[in-house]
Amino acid sequence: MKKVSSIFLMLSFLVFSFGASSVMAAEAPVKLGFVYIMSGPFATYGQFAKHGAELAIDEINKGGGINGKKIEAFFEDSAGKPDVGIRVIRKLVYENGVDAVIGLDSSGVASAVAPIMKELKTPLIITHAATPDVTGKNCNRYTFRISLNENQNMKMAAAIAADMKARIWTTIGPDYSFGHQSWEYFEKYLREKKPDMGFVPVSDVAFAPMKTTDFSAYITKVMSSKADGVLVSLWGGNLIDFVRQASDMGFFDGKREVLLTLGAATEVLYTLKDKMPEGLWVGTRYWFDGNDSPENKSFVQAYKAKYDVYPSYNAHGAYAAVKAFAAAASKAKSTDKEKIVDSLSGLSLTLPVGKVTIRPEDHQAITDGMWGKTASDPVMPIRILKPVRNFVGADITPAVSETGCKME
Amino acid sequence: MFGVLNKNFLTGLLIVVFLALAPLVLTTHWIIILTEIIIMSLYAMSFNLLFGYTGLLSFGQAGFFGAGAYFSALTLAHFTSSFWVCVAVGVIGTALLAFVIGWFCVRLDEIYFAILTLGFGMMLFTLAHNWRSVTGGSDGLTILTLPVLTFSSYRLELFNPKIFYWLSLITVSLGIVVLRQVVNSPFGLLLTATRENSQRVSFVGQNVRTVRLVAFTIAGALAGMAGVLFGLFNRIASPEMLHWSFSGKAVLMTILGGSGVFLGPAVGTSIFFVLEHFITSYTTNWMIFLGAILIALVLLFPMGVLGTAASFISKQRGVMKHE
Amino acid sequence: MEGFLINVLNGLSWGMLLFMISMGLTTVFGVMGVLNFAHGSLFMLGAYMSMQLVRWVSSFWVGLIFAPLFVALLAIALERFLLRPVYGRDVSFQLLLTFGIMLFLDDGVRLVWGPAHHVVNPPDILAGVFPIFGQTYPVYRLFLIAIGPALGLGLWAFFSYSRWGKIIRAAAMDREMAEIVGVRAPILFTSVFGFGAWLAALGGALAAPHQSVGPAIGEHIIIESFIVVVIGGMGSFPGAFVGALILGLLASFGATMAPDFQMALPYILLAIILLTRPRGIFGEES
Repeated sequence: MKKVSSIFLMLSFLVFSFGASSVMAAEAPVKLGFVYIMSGPFATYGQFAKHGAELAIDEINKGGGINGKKIEAFFEDSAGKPDVGIRVIRKLVYENGVDAVIGLDSSGVASAVAPIMKELKTPLIITHAATPDVTGKNCNRYTFRISLNENQNMKMAAAIAADMKARIWTTIGPDYSFGHQSWEYFEKYLREKKPDMGFVPVSDVAFAPMKTTDFSAYITKVMSSKADGVLVSLWGGNLIDFVRQASDMGFFDGKREVLLTLGAATEVLYTLKDKMPEGLWVGTRYWFDGNDSPENKSFVQAYKAKYDVYPSYNAHGAYAAVKAFAAAASKAKSTDKEKIVDSLSGLSLTLPVGKVTIRPEDHQAITDGMWGKTASDPVMPIRILKPVRNFVGADITPAVSETGCKME
Repeated sequence: MFGVLNKNFLTGLLIVVFLALAPLVLTTHWIIILTEIIIMSLYAMSFNLLFGYTGLLSFGQAGFFGAGAYFSALTLAHFTSSFWVCVAVGVIGTALLAFVIGWFCVRLDEIYFAILTLGFGMMLFTLAHNWRSVTGGSDGLTILTLPVLTFSSYRLELFNPKIFYWLSLITVSLGIVVLRQVVNSPFGLLLTATRENSQRVSFVGQNVRTVRLVAFTIAGALAGMAGVLFGLFNRIASPEMLHWSFSGKAVLMTILGGSGVFLGPAVGTSIFFVLEHFITSYTTNWMIFLGAILIALVLLFPMGVLGTAASFISKQRGVMKHE
Repeated sequence: MEGFLINVLNGLSWGMLLFMISMGLTTVFGVMGVLNFAHGSLFMLGAYMSMQLVRWVSSFWVGLIFAPLFVALLAIALERFLLRPVYGRDVSFQLLLTFGIMLFLDDGVRLVWGPAHHVVNPPDILAGVFPIFGQTYPVYRLFLIAIGPALGLGLWAFFSYSRWGKIIRAAAMDREMAEIVGVRAPILFTSVFGFGAWLAALGGALAAPHQSVGPAIGEHIIIESFIVVVIGGMGSFPGAFVGALILGLLASFGATMAPDFQMALPYILLAIILLTRPRGIFGEES
């Protein structure tokens, strides 16, 4: 037993000496921590986000940095798991001493992390995770979101569905909170617009576990239902598998209207290429060809030049968050965390996606949104959106009273 | 006998005192890592009561770990804000759950036991993942307000990392003392006997299933205790905590440290987290390094790191004595 | 009725894919007693290799033939240098070792091919769709349904009539006895492991046109293959066939009829089988 404990002591001594040596150095640069899914089936999203963040940092550093200080970036992998997400964020704050945390793809991770930010007293800018709760009933002073959330996206989906021929709607989504919530919000908003619209009962809609690679059973279930409109909230690899298998099974034969809520992710379009059917309404948080503003043109050009692909909405999210942080810092003339938080709240700036305002009451970005119809273009390697339908931010964002947010 | 016990007691006390003083010199970041190591050590050690001592490879230990977190999160959300009630509900709740599941599982042996525990663990995972109205579904149950600890007029703030660390240290030490008592008791000997030769145990009139069921229940309850702490530590109970890959973590850390030594799982846990910390600092391709290191450790340390080191040292001592 | 028949087809095609993957897993377990966690990664590697070959020579068939061979060679090296030293040790070490190999391979493919998903097209002859019950059905799925039993029968014949097949079966039943009568265990083990990997990779190459090829596809399939093998009886071919069919049909009908429980269904079935027939449907009770 003695030898065992002496080894134990030695080991803990090692831990200690490492710990003591990693005391923070004097902080010269502005430090930003990024947390995305860098491994596993959704890792492409993390890769695009990393590129978007690096592009923004390059631009800012070349232009003299933030208040004269250069930005230093730290990237961490959340692996899409809440406990890992919390661990790396604590690491970023306590060890790397970051001034803000940017990122989060998974809603599960976002729900877990948001309350922690209150204790870490560090601003968090969410760029992808769409759960309404983090700017709703679990909102807090330190948590912001620069991208569209689920409600906003579903408001647009409902507006498009209202103008379609379909009379009875159903859904295929991932069998976790995001899929279920998307369907609930879609139903709610579409009912508001069209009270006589029919919806398939929840036992007859299709939710596929995230590990699904064969969607045939779910496709069959939806095809044999009475519905003539289908909301598809699958994303990433799931969406790729679904689209290919559904095409073969005649799902896109024109007998039903289809809305792909995250179908305009370039991560997906680059893999599917011409396997993505034409004429489908697809949603996104940002589309590289969505507007002709100088901000957008220069972003798309720079991104394409550097990485040889068009930026995805996740690349834009990370890029936008860095720009928003820089804007907040120059407005506050400081990178003090509390001052950044104050300055982010209510911040308005022009991003590639358009004019974005962070609502002070719940810290959700009010940003214009768009959906588009997939089309082919001989000079483009992927499907493009034509026509597109634009929505004004204020019209698609639920009122603060609806969100359940009580900012303390 | 008395002397040995005393010496072990002193070593244990020394380790606890040493760990208790640690936050005074460590940075916050390392206090947090150490908190996680301490909590996960109890989890791995609870698993090792089944694996190392009883010879049962459970692949469903995460089910109880996660259940502890859910029980305490539900208690906090609906009933009370007392820390000790929270722990009690978590431990008793998981003990009952482990008893029921164990009642089925102890009928099987070896790989069949492993797969059946995996099956039950995944049923619990599905329950947590799909029962949205109660468990919050895949988003989990967020713990918005931490329990309070009051000693007369003192009020301890659990969100202070040092205080949470000390509280975890006390709770985990209690758990480990219980584990130590179980292992050293006559019942503990019976456990090892069922591992070595279950037929002989039944010959001497002991019901092997009952012995295993008791061990399964204790292991479940202690995993639940670790789960309560882990839930509070992360402010969330999430379905991932019940997934088979989380059970795999306990197996991995235990074998890494050495299943034949009482503190082996704790050493394995420390190695795992420190390694992970350093690898993830340098690369996002950490899995490939973890895999490679794991392969090397399995090949080079046949009894786990602590087990192999211990036997190496005692061999050296033996050689010295002979000279 | 039509929905029912389509569901049967869906279940069969998914089941046959599971069957192909499980055959290798069950052979390796039956003969070597090793529960191979890395089996799913070998499946994934087969899919990636065939994807790469299809890119180079644009022939699905070349990928189908050569990808499994490459993976088998790699597996032989893995067995020879990593697995062999731990045979004498506790089963848990083999489990841990194959777990390490799984982590290594899963991340390795990401280093080589990046994190994106890839699409492989079925060969022209199998690319079409087939009108059935008022909708279309992919020919490739029917091909999967046909190739499963064909491969199973081929393997059954191999194990029943060929010399090597008989030796492997004998070794699976009684390893010591086989050694006494002159079977050299090391070579036997190496070839069985390589053979299991070949089957996994073949499954991967066949799955590539059916689903996308991406990291973690092995992780997704490994637990389901475990369940197939356990339900059917470890080491049993007919068991793997029946187990895979049950799981395939459970997946398709579960999604339609019990959507709230579909994720738990395979595990509930697993528990019921283990508690009533611990050695599986086709396993021999000891």
